[in-house]
Formats: sequence, C-alpha cells, structure tokens
Amino acid sequence: MLEVHQLKAGYQDKVIVELPQLTLGSGEHCLILGDSGSGKTTLLCTLAGLLSPLGGAINLNGQDLAQLQGSALDTFRGRNIGIIYQTLHMVSALSVLENVLLPQYAAGVPQDREKAIGLLEQLGLADKKDQKPSTLSQGQQQRVAIARAAINSPGIIIGDEPTSALDDRACETVMGLLLQLAASSKASLVIATHDQRIKAHFQKSIRVGGAQ
Amino acid sequence: MNSLRLSLAYLRHKALSTALTVTTFAAGVAMIVVLLLVNAQLQNEFTNNLQGIDLVVGAKGSPMQLILSSVFHLDVPTGNIPLDQAEQLSKHPMVKEAIPLALGDNFRGFRIVGTTTAYPEHYQAKLKTGGRYWKKEMEAVLGAEVASRSGLKPGDTFSGSHGLTMGGEVHAQFPYTVVGVMQPTDSVLDRLILTGKESVWYIHEHHHHDHDDGDGDGDDDDEAGHGSGREITALLISYNSPLAAAGLPRLINKTTSMQAASPAFEMARLNAFMGRGTETVQYFAWFLIALAGFGIFAGLYNAMTERRYDLALMRSFGARPEKLFTLMMAESLVVALIGAALGIVAGHLLVEGISTWLANTKHIHMTGMLFLSEELWILPVSLAVGAVAALLPAIRVYRIDIFKTLVQR
Repeated sequence: MLEVHQLKAGYQDKVIVELPQLTLGSGEHCLILGDSGSGKTTLLCTLAGLLSPLGGAINLNGQDLAQLQGSALDTFRGRNIGIIYQTLHMVSALSVLENVLLPQYAAGVPQDREKAIGLLEQLGLADKKDQKPSTLSQGQQQRVAIARAAINSPGIIIGDEPTSALDDRACETVMGLLLQLAASSKASLVIATHDQRIKAHFQKSIRVGGAQ
Repeated sequence: MNSLRLSLAYLRHKALSTALTVTTFAAGVAMIVVLLLVNAQLQNEFTNNLQGIDLVVGAKGSPMQLILSSVFHLDVPTGNIPLDQAEQLSKHPMVKEAIPLALGDNFRGFRIVGTTTAYPEHYQAKLKTGGRYWKKEMEAVLGAEVASRSGLKPGDTFSGSHGLTMGGEVHAQFPYTVVGVMQPTDSVLDRLILTGKESVWYIHEHHHHDHDDGDGDGDDDDEAGHGSGREITALLISYNSPLAAAGLPRLINKTTSMQAASPAFEMARLNAFMGRGTETVQYFAWFLIALAGFGIFAGLYNAMTERRYDLALMRSFGARPEKLFTLMMAESLVVALIGAALGIVAGHLLVEGISTWLANTKHIHMTGMLFLSEELWILPVSLAVGAVAALLPAIRVYRIDIFKTLVQR
C-alpha cells in the first residue's frame, strides 16, 4: 500500500520533480514515464527512501518515510523496499547466490538460502548460483538483480530502467518474470522507464517532466 | 554469510595482493621470532656455561679468545700455561675452586678435555647408571651428545686425533676406554669428552712430533712440556669473596706470564657487539611489519574506491555504517592474523633449520621447538597494526553518499 501526497522530490534542496497524488493498492503496479533528465530517477529514489523528500508525504504500509531518519530509514528501506538499479551493481567478489542473499545480510535479517535458491530457480538461474556475476550475460544479471530485490519480500519493488539494456526477447522474459514474482508476493511494482515496449503490462502510469 | 565470510570473499577476490601483504607481514613476524629464539637460547647457553666461573686464567693473548676457547669451547686456545704456576694460583686464599683444563685432541670434532672431576661437578653433571669417572690414564667419560651421536658406551674404546677439529693425526697407539656417560646438563659439557689431565700429558709425552704443528690447536708449546714442567691450557676459577675481583686479575696479569680474563666482562663486551646487530635486524623486522600494515592500508584504501558501489549498495539495502566498518576491520584483522600465524610458524621452522645446521658444527645447541612468553606479544601487536591500518579506510564508510554513488553519474 503506497500513498503519495504533494511530494516534492529533489537533491540538495533543489526541487526537481513534483508528484501531487499517487495511490497504489497492494499488488497494483505503476509506470513512471519521462524523457532522460526529466527527474524520473530522482522521484524513484525518493519513493525508495534513498533521498529524503523535500516536501509532502510518502506513506508506505502505514509508515511515513519523511518521519524516518538515519539508520531507522535504512532499516525500514532494507525490509520493505526492493530496489533494482539501472546500473546493476553486482558485487563481483560474491557468487550469484551470495549476491541474492546480500540484502538479508545488510538488513540483518535471517538469511534464507532456500528462498534465494527458489527465487533463482523461478528466474531460471538455479544452475548459475555458484558462479560469479561477471560470467553471466546482461539479461541474466538483470534477473539476479530482480531476485535480489525480491529476497526480503518487500511490499514495493522499485526498478530504474530494468529493461532498457535488453533486447526484445530478454525484455519480454524479464518483464514476465518481474510481474510473476510481484504477483506471487503481492508486491507493487514501480518502474521508471522510457522503454515503450513494456507499457502494455501496466494499467497505471504517470508522466514526469514532459508536460511542462 | 557474515562479515567474516564476506571479508574472506573479498580477500580471495584480490588473492594476489592479499598474498603479497600476508607474506610481507609474515616475513617481519618471522624475523622477530628468529631474533627472540636465537637471542634467548644464546643467553641461556651463556649463563648455563658461565655459572659460577669468575675468572679464566690462560696464556697471554686475546681475553675474548681465552673465554670462548676454555668456557664455551668455541675458539682455539691462546696457548698453554705452566702447571706449577697454575697450581700455585689454585692455592691462593681468595680462590674457592680452580678447575684445570688441558686441551689438545678431539674425537670426530668433539674436544677431549683433560681435567679433574671438579669440572663435571661444577656443572652438577650426573653419570648415567653403570658409569664411573676416570681412575687412571686413558679412561674417558662422554658428554650426553657425544655418546648419542657416536654410539659409544662404557667398555668401548676410541682414539683421539691431534688438534681440536677433525682431520688431525690419529693417536691410534693410545686408545681411550669409555668408563662413563654423563646425563644431559644443557651446558657445553654435553659436547665434550672428559678425561684425567694426566691422559693428555701421557699421550703427548710419549708422542714424537715429526709433523708441522701449525694447525692452531693450542698445544704449540707441547714440545716444551717434555720432561720439564708440565702444562695445562687454562684454569677456571671461582672466587671465595667478591673482593677478589678487585685484585686477583690484576695480580695475575702483572706478576705472572699468564693472562686472567673475566667471563662476565668479556660476555658483556660480546653482547654489546651482538646487541648492535640484533637491534638493527629488529628495527628492520618492525619496519617490515609496518610496511605490511601500510600495504593493508593501501589495499583497503584502494578497495574503498573500487568498492564504494558495493558498500553503498549494502547501505541502500539497510546495512548500518557500523556493520560496514566491522566488515573493513575484519578484512584487515584477518590479514594480520594469518600473517602473524604464518610468521610465527616460519620463524620456528627457520630456527629449527639453523639448529640442524649448527648441530653439525658441534658448537651451540639450539631448537625451533621452544616457545617464549615474549612471542605472545606478537599477536596483539599484529592485530593492533591491522586495526590501525584499517581505521582510515573504514571511517570513510560513514561518508558514503548512497544516491550519488549508485544513481548519479
């Protein structure tokens, strides 16, 4: 359950993008569209709790993100928000499986290897679990990033251009897996993209920047 | 997965630079261990052999050489002294005990020392059961190491050869009979063959020298011993009172043809020489450890640059900065710990290697299987070096800007 009200998002006290109203029910997805430099990523990072909102309120599962500071915000984010970065940021010293377990280690919650292996199986990567991420293709790494975002069963999974680097087939596969995973854990997907190919999968979308 | 396993994964990931740092660290630690072990055992050897010997009297020459040759049986003697003068000195009121030593021959490199039973008694030597001390000429008692390495036992006979090192002319017509074997004393006695001083005179008085006696064996004046006054090589003296130290050495040096040397003084001199060398090596060892610490620091600092994405990623997944600080610390401490452990093992193996090599020279006994309480310091000091090295890189964890690192380009 995500509720956004009169949100002002920006960086270092400079408001870049405003979002007057957004409500997502559990399991409801939303696409954030806009050209490069329109502030999609800034908005996304504010929703993800990586940036403090410069105004307004973000309510996620009954918790106002603006009220959380420092390590309390870190802990809340670690347990409730899954993040897929545009640059995938695989930890090259660790195996695929360990990369998937990393958020649990970081958040200090018990590490569930069974669940991690299950996620990798669901994403068709079970046989790659002991390999280093650098040996995987871009599409495969993208799927590892998805498993990593889903490992803590977050209420919301936030993705920044998760498909833009993929070819048409990989794009379809990844989107399909992402939706399937979100559906099975009743998570909301919030995806920022300018990738026209995935529009069809979403009922709800907001556009930033372009209208001004 | 925990911080320790994560650190190990990072260390494995950059295995080559980890190996370099660990090796440097281990080299420094090993050097310190070798210094500690060798120093402790040399000091031990010195004190064990010096016990109660206040003065050594022998022929004029280098006082250091006199001490080394007659107390530690390391160097060649300075020459011989007349027996009558030595006996006169033994009766001096300030002399509690005077042990005569007559050198000249060896058996397979082990020195044969003509003396009295006062010599083994001075070192509290005990005979193994079934043995006795010599009662007449050409009877010998073996030190523990001599017996074990030669395999000789009471009843066996052997012939000494001329000089103090192997290869001299063998006195085949004058065989010794073994009458006893001493228990280990942890002193130079273990590597000596003792006999009555009369045996040494006996051989050399009946022996016709027709060879060049220039092998520096300490009995150069042997010819003079024929018929006329007999000679010994040195006299080990214990004082009756500490006052003797003030007058007796000077009296001997001034009024006789003999030389008196104080072992304590000469050893202090030797220690001063060696101490300078030991100190230099010690500084070098600490320098190596500091260098390894710097290696850890540089490695982690560089890693911070490469790894700031990983660290920011973990922060974004909810890791507290303290957790990442611990991660960096663990990585450094693991390197220091492995380095210290390897260094300690290598140091002991090295000393054990030196000791096998020394065993063949029959001079000084050493072992690598000795553990000193000083070594316990190495571990905490190593960990401290590791912790200090990791401090600055680890503190940078607190200043990571997640958004800037992961999202902005």
